[in-house]
Amino acid sequence: MSATLLNAVWQGIIILVGGTFLGMVYKGLDRKLAAQMQGRIGPPLRQPFFDVVKLMVKENIVPDHAVAWLYNLMPLVSLAAVGTLLFYVPLGGFEPLLHGYGDLILVLYLLAVPSIAMVLGGFAAGSPFASVGAQRELVMMMAYEFPLAITLLSLGWYLSAAMPGVHVFSLSVLAANPLWGLVGPLGFIGLLLLFCALMIVTPAELAKIPFDIPEAETEIAGGILAEYSGRNMAMFYLADAIKMVVMGSLTVALFFPYGLSGLLGVAGAWGSVIDVIFYLVKVFVVIFFAVIVVRVAFARLKIGQAVRLFWLPITGISLLGMLLLTLDRIV
Amino acid sequence: MIFGTLIKQLFSKPATNPFPARYMPKSVTALLAKVAAGKATIHPPVPAPADLRGKIAYDREKCIGCQLCIRVCPAKVIEFLPENKKIRMYVARCTFCAQCVDACPVDALATTPNFLLADTDRFSKNLIVD
Amino acid sequence: MNNDSINLKVGQCAATTYSVPVGPVHPALKEPIRFTFNLDGERIVGVDIKPGFAHRGIEYMGMRRNLIQALYLSERICGICSISHPLAFTQAVENAAGIEVPPRAQYIRTIIGELERVHSHLLWAGVGAHELGFDTLLHLTWNVREKSMDLLEELTGNRVDYAIPIFSGVRRDVPAEKAHLAYEALDYYKGLLQQMIDAFLHDKSVEMRTRNVGALSYDLAVDLCAVGPTARASGVKKDVRQDMPYLAYADMEVKAITPEDFGTEPHGDVYDNIIVRLLEVKQSIEIIEFCLENLPSGELMSIPKVPALLATLKKASGEGLGRHEAPRGEVIHYVRLEEGIEEPAVWKVKAPTYSNLMAWVPKFLGDEIADVPIIAASIDPCMCCMDRVHMVDTVGNETTRMKEELVRLSREKTRRICG
Repeated sequence: MSATLLNAVWQGIIILVGGTFLGMVYKGLDRKLAAQMQGRIGPPLRQPFFDVVKLMVKENIVPDHAVAWLYNLMPLVSLAAVGTLLFYVPLGGFEPLLHGYGDLILVLYLLAVPSIAMVLGGFAAGSPFASVGAQRELVMMMAYEFPLAITLLSLGWYLSAAMPGVHVFSLSVLAANPLWGLVGPLGFIGLLLLFCALMIVTPAELAKIPFDIPEAETEIAGGILAEYSGRNMAMFYLADAIKMVVMGSLTVALFFPYGLSGLLGVAGAWGSVIDVIFYLVKVFVVIFFAVIVVRVAFARLKIGQAVRLFWLPITGISLLGMLLLTLDRIV
Repeated sequence: MIFGTLIKQLFSKPATNPFPARYMPKSVTALLAKVAAGKATIHPPVPAPADLRGKIAYDREKCIGCQLCIRVCPAKVIEFLPENKKIRMYVARCTFCAQCVDACPVDALATTPNFLLADTDRFSKNLIVD
Repeated sequence: MNNDSINLKVGQCAATTYSVPVGPVHPALKEPIRFTFNLDGERIVGVDIKPGFAHRGIEYMGMRRNLIQALYLSERICGICSISHPLAFTQAVENAAGIEVPPRAQYIRTIIGELERVHSHLLWAGVGAHELGFDTLLHLTWNVREKSMDLLEELTGNRVDYAIPIFSGVRRDVPAEKAHLAYEALDYYKGLLQQMIDAFLHDKSVEMRTRNVGALSYDLAVDLCAVGPTARASGVKKDVRQDMPYLAYADMEVKAITPEDFGTEPHGDVYDNIIVRLLEVKQSIEIIEFCLENLPSGELMSIPKVPALLATLKKASGEGLGRHEAPRGEVIHYVRLEEGIEEPAVWKVKAPTYSNLMAWVPKFLGDEIADVPIIAASIDPCMCCMDRVHMVDTVGNETTRMKEELVRLSREKTRRICG
């Protein structure tokens, strides 16, 4: 085994463990801050770790009506997909590990995999609640994937038009060339609109209130996850935690890829430390406003209302953003 | 909109009353003794009004054994002890209506604000009044 | 909407529909009942309701205890309406035995009854918010509700099961030194009411989830004999306190609250239910204030000694009806006393949920599965108040009884208990 490959494996393990740890910490923060905003004390910050440990030692029940292999496979697929995503999204201001082996389009597809895995797992569970949840998840995907795709692709297209010759759809290139500095006033407004669209898609992508429709606890008793327990449930839980980091990092990489080290004039290892801390803060800010505040400030929408919201206003906003970016390039 | 309230609550003390101890102690009485001695601290409990209808106090000397309390008790808490014409109360059954207190002609019964009655043994010393 | 589909059982429905069971244990329900929904996609095309999971035989137990013991049993029919049932029960017994209640006692009963309405409606509002997935509003509302619970604790000695009314009066006074606590709580709620209305009625996401959801037309509300806020939300001006004033309500003008008081047309939907209940909190505060200001002086009980009371009740014979506008609607207690026995010869309870149960069917039909929790909560159901019968046979087989047989059985029972 060559040294570079060994090195890459080590880095991969570090990224996986670190990303998971980070996701759990953000999840703990999410629960603590949401509780505080609701006037409660809330669980301790390390509660997600307790939860996962507890789920791991609990019995893994497969319902009698379930398609067992599909039911057991899907949590693994979900976790694998978000794990892979960690290799493609710039974390801590560094280049992604698999930089050059896949681009924004791949990220877009990988983001959809956990949802599809949940849908299949839900259908395989053979429970009416899980089936209703799975149908809802499918509809939700159809609703939010379109504005998400428009947002990501517009940014890639703009960069390819502005800087011909670079590997444009790569996330690391996008992160290295913040668009805010390249666009004119029209494009600036366009970027703002795309940013808004991405912020609204984030809670839907993560299935948080007001878009936790596929899991709606009071309506369909957890929906897709109604039948999952033990190890399988823990894997979905971890996948959810990691996905939060991925979505936060994606937003940061696309819109706020700036580091502090250059500004402070600190180079070398200390510069990296400052950048990593700054990155963690940026991801936290994104999660705070896109997930935590939103989930305590709204009631859950109905599936029809959510679809209408994404197809009309949100798609409209992202299309307008795309149009403005295009105009900015042409004019 | 609700955002103002949310931000206000984010930076203010939660409304939850914390459980007096961080974890359930092995022995409540031992913990309370420790607190009294100043060796441990607990979250101060929410004060209860003085006329709370809690555990019933029984003045054995005053009791004349008329059994009126037994007639009105809805939960059959009170047992009559015929040998010395006194009563015994099993607090685990009590519904804390305090009707016996109203019924007692000699004021041998009284309410106390004591509501810390959780126990694993329904015949424990704390839950039998005689 | 095809009404034939209401009675469809699992497996009988058309190929395009499928059935989803909700309950008896389900996060949407706070108490046990079973719905079987026939769904066409997300739309409800049929519903079957099966109650009877919380039957405890309280009437039977009460008929084997003396009246004072039964009074505390009546308090435990329901934890939330723990003053409504005793109020109706004491009135029924007082009517049957011809016992007078001093005016001060009537006012104190009214104060506690209205305080219960405040805390019950706030509890409902919080539960409703939780059913919508709006937990922040749940926590805010229940935090606010604590103030009324604290006041009740101060005035009665307990947060629930107040043990205040007794035949011939009340057991505890509202002394002058505690009145300031009550005024303090009332001021607190007066200041908060506009905030509550803003948080519930002017919130876009709450409105989206509740407007035109679970609608009950005026005609259906009248036909199905809905009571309480469920009927009033449909515009039916029906309130025991207005129609047949009792206690202190006769001394003041109580008007049934409908959505028209908020300036909107009544639809009978969940939004209107919120309007009615929030405005009733305001109304209750005004009633309590009136009672505190006009609290007559005098004794608390016309028969203060317990042995004398027991003797009076043992001598009494006759039948009496007690009605009270509970937070959920009209509660009726019927009592028949016979001379020489301490126990009630007959005790019959009609809880408000019993009248509102059938309103569920038109409310559910045509709405989405996502609306199930909030529609189920919209009538503020109380199963433990309502469940009156549970059929089992010795081997545990499930049996189905048709309407004719049930009517025959009910008549037989009525003849039996009425002699």
